[in-house]
Amino acid sequence: MSKKTLGLIALGAAALLVAAAQAQEKFPSKTIEVVTHAGVGGGTDITARMMMVQAPAAFGQELVVVNKTGGSGAAALGYAAGRPKDGHTILLITQTHLLTILQGRGAGVKAEDIVGLARATEDPQVLMVGKGSPYVTAKEFIEASKSKAMKYGTTQIGSVDHLAVVGFARKAGLQTPTVVPFRGGGDVVVNLVGGNIDAALLNYAEAESQIKAGEVRALLTLANERLPAIADTPTAKEIGIDAVYSTTRGFAVLKGTPEDRIKILEEGLVKAMSGKIYQDYLASSGQSLKSVVGRQEWQAQIDEFLRTGQEALASLGVK
Amino acid sequence: MSAFASGMAILLDPYMLWVILAGTVLGVTVGALPGLSGSTTAALLLPLTIGMGPVASIAFLGSIYCAANFGGSITAILINTPGDPSASATAYDGYPLAARGEAGRALGMSTVASAIGGIFSVIVLIVAAPLLARAAYNFGPPEYFALALFGLSMLGAVGSEVGVRNLMAGAFGVFLATIGLDLTTGVERFTFGFPELSEGLNLVPVLTGLFAISEMLTQATQLHMPRERLALDAVRLPSRDDFRKCAKSIGLSSVLGTFIGILPALGATTAALISYSETKRWSKHKHEFGKGAIEGVAGPEAANNAAVGGSMVPTLALGIPGSTTTAIILAGLIVQGVRPGPHLFNEQPVLLYAVFASMLAANLIYLALGLFAAKAFARITLIPDAILWPAVFVFAVVGAYGQDQSITDVWVMLIFGVIGFYLRRFGFSPAPLVMGLVLGKMVEETLKQSLLIFDQNWLLFFSRPIVVALFAVTLLSVFAPLIGRTIRHAFRREKGLDPLSE
Repeated sequence: MSKKTLGLIALGAAALLVAAAQAQEKFPSKTIEVVTHAGVGGGTDITARMMMVQAPAAFGQELVVVNKTGGSGAAALGYAAGRPKDGHTILLITQTHLLTILQGRGAGVKAEDIVGLARATEDPQVLMVGKGSPYVTAKEFIEASKSKAMKYGTTQIGSVDHLAVVGFARKAGLQTPTVVPFRGGGDVVVNLVGGNIDAALLNYAEAESQIKAGEVRALLTLANERLPAIADTPTAKEIGIDAVYSTTRGFAVLKGTPEDRIKILEEGLVKAMSGKIYQDYLASSGQSLKSVVGRQEWQAQIDEFLRTGQEALASLGVK
Repeated sequence: MSAFASGMAILLDPYMLWVILAGTVLGVTVGALPGLSGSTTAALLLPLTIGMGPVASIAFLGSIYCAANFGGSITAILINTPGDPSASATAYDGYPLAARGEAGRALGMSTVASAIGGIFSVIVLIVAAPLLARAAYNFGPPEYFALALFGLSMLGAVGSEVGVRNLMAGAFGVFLATIGLDLTTGVERFTFGFPELSEGLNLVPVLTGLFAISEMLTQATQLHMPRERLALDAVRLPSRDDFRKCAKSIGLSSVLGTFIGILPALGATTAALISYSETKRWSKHKHEFGKGAIEGVAGPEAANNAAVGGSMVPTLALGIPGSTTTAIILAGLIVQGVRPGPHLFNEQPVLLYAVFASMLAANLIYLALGLFAAKAFARITLIPDAILWPAVFVFAVVGAYGQDQSITDVWVMLIFGVIGFYLRRFGFSPAPLVMGLVLGKMVEETLKQSLLIFDQNWLLFFSRPIVVALFAVTLLSVFAPLIGRTIRHAFRREKGLDPLSE
């Protein structure tokens, strides 16, 4: 073995060492996958894409959305579980994922495996009726609901809005509502305007154009504060009902991801979502401008939901 | 009116023209490629449009949508494989025509009928979008139930000649529609633990398998035969005779296609299938159908392009997509910060008219392409089998995988390729299967929703006028042949003729 070869080997080894050291320091080192259970164009998909606009600057790497629809989040969870836990795969989760996990359908992912990174949106549920409805104020509607079982349009059985409908009715002391499931929020809005159902709990953005056109009336906001876009609509608390329900989305990784990388992801996500583009998106889609919070607050919310979700599901009879 | 003018003025902008031209050429090309549909392409290119700005982005996606529906007919006619699912009905008569050496006549008719249907529906969109949008609110679950039932009543007439076989294939489709999460109970059915199946079978892989893969397998069985490649003579404008023959079916199908397109969930494919059977029902030359009737090309092509404009109505006016592709266009708009809905007509009329203008332009461009450049697009049929079918296979796999990035969808596609192959082998047509799959889900879900709304009292169906009207039409369509025969017989007996003499 000549001196030259030895020298080359030494050089190669040194280069490898440097590369290894860099790999340890530098994260992310490749494109980050953002896994969502929504199809292209769904609300959650759009949230992911809006975050991604200013994220490359925060991470120094590109991001890409991976749409794994199916099984109410089960396909997305299963996909993430099959990827290395190196922080290059992050999940955009909603309460739907957590409910799926609680029902034991999370493709092997357990409740304690979910590590929150940052909350992305907090979208309050709003009680709405169609323009043909005889109820103009929330009080009238609640009063009538005490003697009549109202028909609510929801998406899927055992979904977040199904839980919200049943929970709201119980807290307000109403007759157990009849739930009519539809394929999506758009269908619910059409049937609300068409008078086929009495009411629905929807996010403001889902019925924004119909509210503006006067075809849907927003009666009650199930949040701690009124929404700026419908400032005339009172909150449930204002009329003495302690009901707060919202559609929440946030980023998470699975347990096993190194702690230092979790920290980098949290900081990068919060930075990207504090940018103008994301904040404009929150404002224009009627979501809370205080949506974006870091790991600690978001994890607390996840834990709280997991705690209450179990009994809520049991009360619905959905396992 | 000034909004209309400034919307139309975008056609003077060279950049916009370039975008529309690119979208149209791309649309015809992918439309002509089996397995790669307009919706798949729009989905694949959606990320590319984000930087374009709202008008250009929607013009681009809209042009692809318009043109792909036409492009599908080129392949349907020349190689008996719909290039786009919406062209499946076109193959029934287009291919026999081409087999007779009349490919140019068939393609000419398909081009002109497509453009007429497309332009008609865009005009409807421009004139009546705000009005038509209102009708969507009158359609609740009971109305959709009645509509889907009407669709199912036509199963016997769609597909192969033997009605019973069509009903069997249709019933199999209805069965397949039960796969997935039951909407009203939340119970999983026939998913065998695959989370990907919980939302039911995806249409794209099923269609790609049934049409593209089964065709590939069929071709593979014929390798020992010197395959006669269907030559394309010069594409020509339909003759006066042909046009007179088809005028009624183009008119009927344009209206039908636009209407079906407006209804959410029913897109160009359903429009084409229904208008094929309607064209046949109202034709004076019923016996020619399936053997190369020119009307059988004109009807479905007018309808599937009319459905494009129709399905843009609920998308733009309500923010509710009327088809898969418009769902992608809707996503494109939302990503641009434009939220479609009734207020859009007041707030951004220029944007809307620009979209309308670009769709009109796309229809005119493919009319020209179809008449003068169809030969170039038809060249994909001159590609040797050894290159064409492997390429189709690759595109089919990519197309099936692309929508949800799911390998399960690829397996679904391959399985349906084998199913489609054996169906055809034993004289069944895949078309009623697809209709059963689409309508079966709708019938079941809307029936359950209706009964919840009616407090389980099914008699309340008859309290809704649209439902009663649709039920009546359904009954009529099922019993029309029977009634017709009875009347004819009675008439002949009166004249003292032997009823069986004919």
